[in-house]
Parts: sequence; structure tokens; C-alpha cells
Amino acid sequence: MENTTVLIAAVVLMCLLGAALGAVIGIFVRIFKVKSDLLADFALELLPGANCGGCGYAGCADFAKALAAGKANPSGCPVSSAEQIAAISSALGVDAGQMERKCAVVLCRCDIGEVRHMNYNGVQDCAAAHLVGGGPQECHYGCLGLGTCARKCPFGAIEIIGMVAVVHRELCVGCGKCVAACPRGVIKLVPADAEYHVYCNSPKKGAVKRQFCKAGCIGCRKCERSAPGKFVINGFLSQVNYDAGEYPDEKVAAAFTCPVGGLLDVESRIAAARAKAEEVKNK
Amino acid sequence: MKYLELTIGAVLVNNFVLSRFLGICPFLGVSKRLDTALGMGSAVTVVMALASCITSLIANYLLQFSICGHEINLGFLRVLMFILVIAALVQLLEIMLQKLSPVLYRALGIYLPLITTNCAVLGAATINAESARNVFDSTLFGAFSGVGFALALVLFSSLREKLELAAPPKAFEGTPLALVTAGILAMAFSGFAGLC
Amino acid sequence: MNKSSRTVMTFSGGIHPLGDGKSLSNKMAVVPAPLLDKYFVLLSENAGKPPQPVVQKGDKVRKYQLLAAADGFVSANLHSPTSGEVIDIRKVPGPMGLPAVAIEIAADGEDAGEPPFEPITDWQNADPEMLKKRVAEAGLVGMGGASFPTHVKLSPPPEKKVDTLILNGAECEPYLTADHRLMLELPEKVVRGAAILAKILQVKRAGIGVEINKSDAIDALNKFGSRYNVEIVPLKVRYPQGSEKQLINAITGRKVRSGGLPMDAGCVVQNVATAAALSDAVTEGIPLIERIVTVTGEVVVEPGNFRAKIGTPAIELVKLAGGVTEEPGKLIFGGPMMGFAQKSFEVPIAKNTSGILLLPTKVSLNYATTGCIRCGRCVQGCPMKLMPCLLSTAIEADRFDLAAQNHVMDCMECGSCAYVCPDHRPLVQNIRRAKAELRKQAAKGN
Repeated sequence: MENTTVLIAAVVLMCLLGAALGAVIGIFVRIFKVKSDLLADFALELLPGANCGGCGYAGCADFAKALAAGKANPSGCPVSSAEQIAAISSALGVDAGQMERKCAVVLCRCDIGEVRHMNYNGVQDCAAAHLVGGGPQECHYGCLGLGTCARKCPFGAIEIIGMVAVVHRELCVGCGKCVAACPRGVIKLVPADAEYHVYCNSPKKGAVKRQFCKAGCIGCRKCERSAPGKFVINGFLSQVNYDAGEYPDEKVAAAFTCPVGGLLDVESRIAAARAKAEEVKNK
Repeated sequence: MKYLELTIGAVLVNNFVLSRFLGICPFLGVSKRLDTALGMGSAVTVVMALASCITSLIANYLLQFSICGHEINLGFLRVLMFILVIAALVQLLEIMLQKLSPVLYRALGIYLPLITTNCAVLGAATINAESARNVFDSTLFGAFSGVGFALALVLFSSLREKLELAAPPKAFEGTPLALVTAGILAMAFSGFAGLC
Repeated sequence: MNKSSRTVMTFSGGIHPLGDGKSLSNKMAVVPAPLLDKYFVLLSENAGKPPQPVVQKGDKVRKYQLLAAADGFVSANLHSPTSGEVIDIRKVPGPMGLPAVAIEIAADGEDAGEPPFEPITDWQNADPEMLKKRVAEAGLVGMGGASFPTHVKLSPPPEKKVDTLILNGAECEPYLTADHRLMLELPEKVVRGAAILAKILQVKRAGIGVEINKSDAIDALNKFGSRYNVEIVPLKVRYPQGSEKQLINAITGRKVRSGGLPMDAGCVVQNVATAAALSDAVTEGIPLIERIVTVTGEVVVEPGNFRAKIGTPAIELVKLAGGVTEEPGKLIFGGPMMGFAQKSFEVPIAKNTSGILLLPTKVSLNYATTGCIRCGRCVQGCPMKLMPCLLSTAIEADRFDLAAQNHVMDCMECGSCAYVCPDHRPLVQNIRRAKAELRKQAAKGN
């Protein structure tokens, strides 16, 4: 008898308490109603959550909000793979659209060119070094090699080899943080399909560049004559025409000889930088 | 004097985080920024005060009563009921915060619903019940325990904001250094022992 | 000046650089530099907009002739240092590290020219506006280092009540003695310049602050002080006594608010060399084409002070000082604390180059730094009451917002903090980076 009473009392009490609290919560929900954006929450779950800002929004949550509002396209996320983007698109019921995948590249061969360095003993940071009279190098357009971009890269895609930065394409997602961090503007976002690049960033006259850099583009236009439309000449600087849709390939590179050897594919560039760094170290 | 003992004791001497070692999860989780720490601290204080009040009402008047001459003691339901009350309170707080301060709501993130399982809140309620305090004393104790929690959180987050600028050895970066700091802070608080 | 001028005034904070190096050159009388074959007159002499050239390649120019005219209000005229021909207008190594546009002049050896302006002998009764116009015509800029166009400083907006003129003769930078020699050798010009400036600003109080390690200069100035109604204020030897805000604080006891200008405290501060140049411009009608430059440093054979024409390459002045005893580790324009390291000896001197300093390799070595130990010496040393240790660590963690909260923009880069830091941390460079970053962010925000 005693136990039964206690049991019944316990059950009744718990039920009553639960019902009372449930009612209070129900009332509160009514009073403090918030218009929640289910679509945005859903999109946020599908996004990678790297918060890299590569889409141009402040983190994944902001991008998800823009997606839900129809202001952005899922393909704007540089981190997601094609399948992930397709999944988000179908979930949101929008057309994924075509966005060219981008990849960063450091357009400089100052290591090969043996650009003269002044004695710089300040803060080991590119932005700081660049403020001191335009940096320790004589070339004011090339890579400073102090690694500010590498520290800023959320994906660890940038490596400093010797005194120059190189981008590992398999890791790069094209978020553009390095481009923003570089005080010299030597890092460019280019289509990921482009294999070959002209590794120089200085628009100075060839003769001026030659005074301090052996590897700078001299603007001889050989490349442009050999493959019209695939290169653009900017002042005294030849660059791959990244708007063309078709980029220089092995055939183009083999069809002429660049006098400074500035037209290289990404892998050879990294290999050359490694070899040079080794050589300098052994010296 | 009794109230002084109750309040000072809850804030400094028997600080929930630094001497009872309860509620460590949000203590480590929400202490990276001073402003979110303040938000978390005040949220926990509110929940602890309310929870202590309601749970002591329950403990004093609901769990022991006589019906038809039978003395019924439902003491075994204590933890269950306390958790129910705390969970409901946290839900209420969450609903209100979402409306009133969306910024703080987003900053607290997962740690807000986790106040439910914050053992400091349950701890305060249980301590109240075990010391058989009346409703007023319990509420006071709950509120000041919350203040103690907030104090610890604010102190710790200020320290961590400074630590963020330091360059410790790789092995100490992040959580290890935070735990070491928490330990030192706890040692400092042990100096209050015997105050009252 | 609210106390007796016999009291030695100062500000709080600051440092005492050991072995200030002034004895190398402070006994050396100013020697006029001989005429050179070529001068490179830099266009971007002044803070603000560079002036526009009014001469062309191949033009014959006379001494004192206008080479480039001020472009807008915050800009200053530029005059030819000698007679000859404009060979080219081209880029040469500039004093800020980057190439800078200069007018290259081949001297014809005659150094002939006529003062382009009418001398105003009766300046005491002249119209202040006319005198101010003369300041602008003569291309005067702050010769202490900032090279801010002087006529801009002399045109405070009407709502700012300026009641005090202060001439900066503190010369607190170690090694430099150019202002010292100027005050000692041409005291009347300095004091007269102060009186003219006071006349332009129409202020009753004018004072010249001089550190007491230049007691001979104080005595020289005192001979003329009462005649022109200018007070000579002896100041304690302490770096950076010659900084505008510290000078105002030391002499008037006033404080310039954070982010404010001296005129907010009712003061205008000018360098003594600027005042002397103004005196020349008014009483003789000649523009600013030369200045006194200290060539000094442990590796210089005969350190000295030279009256050099603007546009003289640094190498020529080093040769005048007898060359160097060993390969210098650093070439600095200005003093060791706030001067700018140069990449090339070819850099020509500008209106604000008060010194050419050659430091031996052993004092310009690389210092390995470990980390801030929070000793607080930099906090004691900071004349602006900032916390350089906190700023620097925040900046190293890329927390520019935290640096801004802690008033990084008030830093004047005097270098006191970096000088006293036992770990030789590059505090000032970090702070400069934060200031550049914050300016960039502010520009983006607008």
C-alpha cells in the first residue's frame, strides 16, 4: 500500500511538473517568436565550415544567409568540391551555375634571378619589410619571401622555398587570402586549368630589370608572336592571357624559346625553386 | 553574518569553478573573449538563481508531504526533478536570448543549451537541498554561486585574451596553456580558504 | 613660460641615450660646401603634394630661379640651388628607399642669380598676410625632419586660438649638431625668424626651447632675445625633447589631446633652421636653397657641419668630411633614433636632411630577439604614455584592432621604446606596420 502510494504520487508529480513547465515554455515561445531562416541553417550545415572568406562573405554563416536569400550561388564557395556544390544546389533548388575554379600562383622567380638584397634586420614579415623603403630587394614587384602569405593561408598551400613563396596547387582552393596579404601584389588568382605561367611581375623596362634580376621578363614578345592571343603584354611584361579560355600548353612552350626561361609549368617552377634553394644552401 | 558567510563563501571561498571544480566545460569553452564570457557568466547567474529558487521550493514543499495521514518522501526524485526544472529554465533563457540578443545567442552557440548539463547549476541545487536551506537562503546562495562562476569566467577570459598574444612553446599552445592557467588561478583562489 | 625662464623645463617619460655622439661634431664650425658639377633637386621634398616642374629639359636656369611650383595648398615651391642647365627630370634613388623624381642640374660654375623677392626690411610694421605669402613663395618647409610646408602651419583655422610660438632648438637626436651650430653662429637670424613668425601668427609669446647641453648656443641667443622680444627657454637634456608635443608640454605645461595638433593647445612649433631660412627670405628676399647638414658617425674621418645646397648627393658630403675609415654598416639621413636608413650613397639631400650619419657595422648588427618579458621599460620610456610592449605583441598576433584600441595612432615613432628594450625588439617597426595597416583599413572604410 505504502509503496503504491509513493509510486503513484511520484508519477503524478512528475507529470504535473512536466506539463506545467511545458506550458510555460509554450507561452514563452509565442511571446519571443523569432523568424528563423531554416533554409540558411540548412545551407550552413552543408557548407564546409572552413570560414575562409573565399566566397567574399564573412564566414560560412554569412554565405549561407546569402544563399538562402538568393543573393549568392553555391558555386561561389571555393572550398566545396563539385559534388558538394551540386548537393547544396539541389537542396536549395537553384542552378549551380558555372564558376571557374581559381588557384593562386606566385609570379616571381627572384631566387633564380638572384635579385640583390639589402641587409634587412627588421621584422620578419612581408608587410613590415615592404614599408621600409619598399623592401630590401632592388625589385619592388617581386616576392619578399618572408612568408606572410604562407601564414595567412588556411589550407597550408603555400611553401617558402629559400627566399621565394610557391603555391601547391593540389592544396590551393583559390580563396584569395594570400592575394590580400601580399604587399607586393605578386600573387595572382588564375584559372586552375592554366598550367603555364610567365613568372615575373615587374612592368619595368627589360634593361632596368636586367640590372638586378636575371630572370625577369624582358618583354621581347616572342611568346606573343609564337602564340597570338594566348599572351598579353603589359608594358614590358608578358603575361598569360587568363581571359582567353585556352591557356598555353606544352606545345606553346615548346614552339619558342623564352630568352629568360620565364614560361614554366607549375611543377617545373617548384622543382627549380627547390634546386636553387639547395644550391644556395650548399654555397 | 550568516548572509555574509553565504554570499562571500559562494563567490570566493567555495567558488564553484575554482574550488569545487564544477562547470569546467563552459569555463574552458566560452572563455576566449571577455564579452562572451560576460554574457555566459550572466546567463549562468540567472539560471542558477532561478533554478535554486524553484528547486528549493520543490525540495521543501513537493518532495515531502503527507496524504491521508501517510508521510510520503519522494527524495529519490530529487535529481530527476532538478534536471527537468533546469532544462526548462535554460530553454526559456535560450528562447528569450534569441529574441533579445541574437549576437550573444550566436556567440554562446552550443554552450547555451549546455548550461542544462552544467553541473554547477545542478550542484547548487543539490547543495541547497542537502543543507536543508529555506527558499530565500537557497536563492541567495544560487545567485552568488552564479556570480562566483561569472567572476571566475571573466578573470579567466581576461587572462586568455592576454595569452592569445603570447608565443608559448608549441606543446603548450591553446588548451594546455588554458588548463595550466586555470590551475594557477585555482591555486590563487585557495588563498581565500578560511576567510569565513 | 609660466615659470621663470631660468628654470630648466622638461616633459615626463623619454630616455637618455648614452654617449650621444654630439662631441664628434659640435665644435666644428659650419663650412660652406664647394660648388659641385651636378645637383639632384628632389621634387617630393615636402609632405603633401609634390610641386609641378616649371622648367624643362635643356632650360638654362639661374640661381634662386623657380624650378617647380607648389601644386595646391599643402605643397611647397622649389628653387634652383645654382645657375646652370636642366639636364634631365628623372628618377634617382630617393631618401625613402624608393626611386624619386629629381630635377638634375649641371652647374655652370658661376653660381649666379638674383634674389627673386623684394627684401622686406621693415617687417615689424609689415602686413602679416604679406609675410605669410613670402613664406609660401620661398618654399619653406619644416627643416627639422617632417618637411611640412611652413605656410600651412602658419594658417591655423580661425576657430583655433593660437597664442604661443615655440621654436624647436632642442636638437635632442644624438649625433646631430646642425641646429646647435646654426644657433651658435647665426643667433640673430634665428631670433629674428622667431620674431617674424610671431608677427605672422600675431601672438604675444614666442620662445625658443634649447637643451642645456648647448649652453653656448643659449648664451648666443640670449644676446638677441630681449631685442626681438623672444624668450630663450633652457630645457633638460632628454630624448625626445624636440618632439612638438613634448616641447609644448615642457614649455607651456599644456597637453595636446590624443590625435590633436599643436594648435589644439594654442601653439605653433617650428624648427630653428626654418626660422633662420625665413629670416633670409624676408630680409634678403632669397628662397630656401641650402641648409646646414651634419656629417658624422664613428666611421667618418673628420665629422663636421656643412652648409650644403639642396640636391647635393650624400656621397659628396661624405667626401667633404674626409671619407670613411671603414665600410659603414648603415647610412642614415637624420639622427639615429628617427632617421631613415638609405640604400645608396647617391641619394641627394633634401630640405629636411639635418644630418648624414654613418654607423659602423658593429652597431648595426642583426639582433636576435626572443620575446617580450613585460619588463615595462618601454612603458616608462614612452613620451606619449603608450604601452609599446602590448602594442607590439598585439601586432605580432595580427590584432590591429587591439592596437588601435590602445592608441597606436598616437605613436610618433621616436624610437625610445626600441632603444630601451633589453631584448632589442623591433617595437617601432611593428607599430609603423600597424599604423599603415590601420590607415589602409580606414581608407577602405570610407
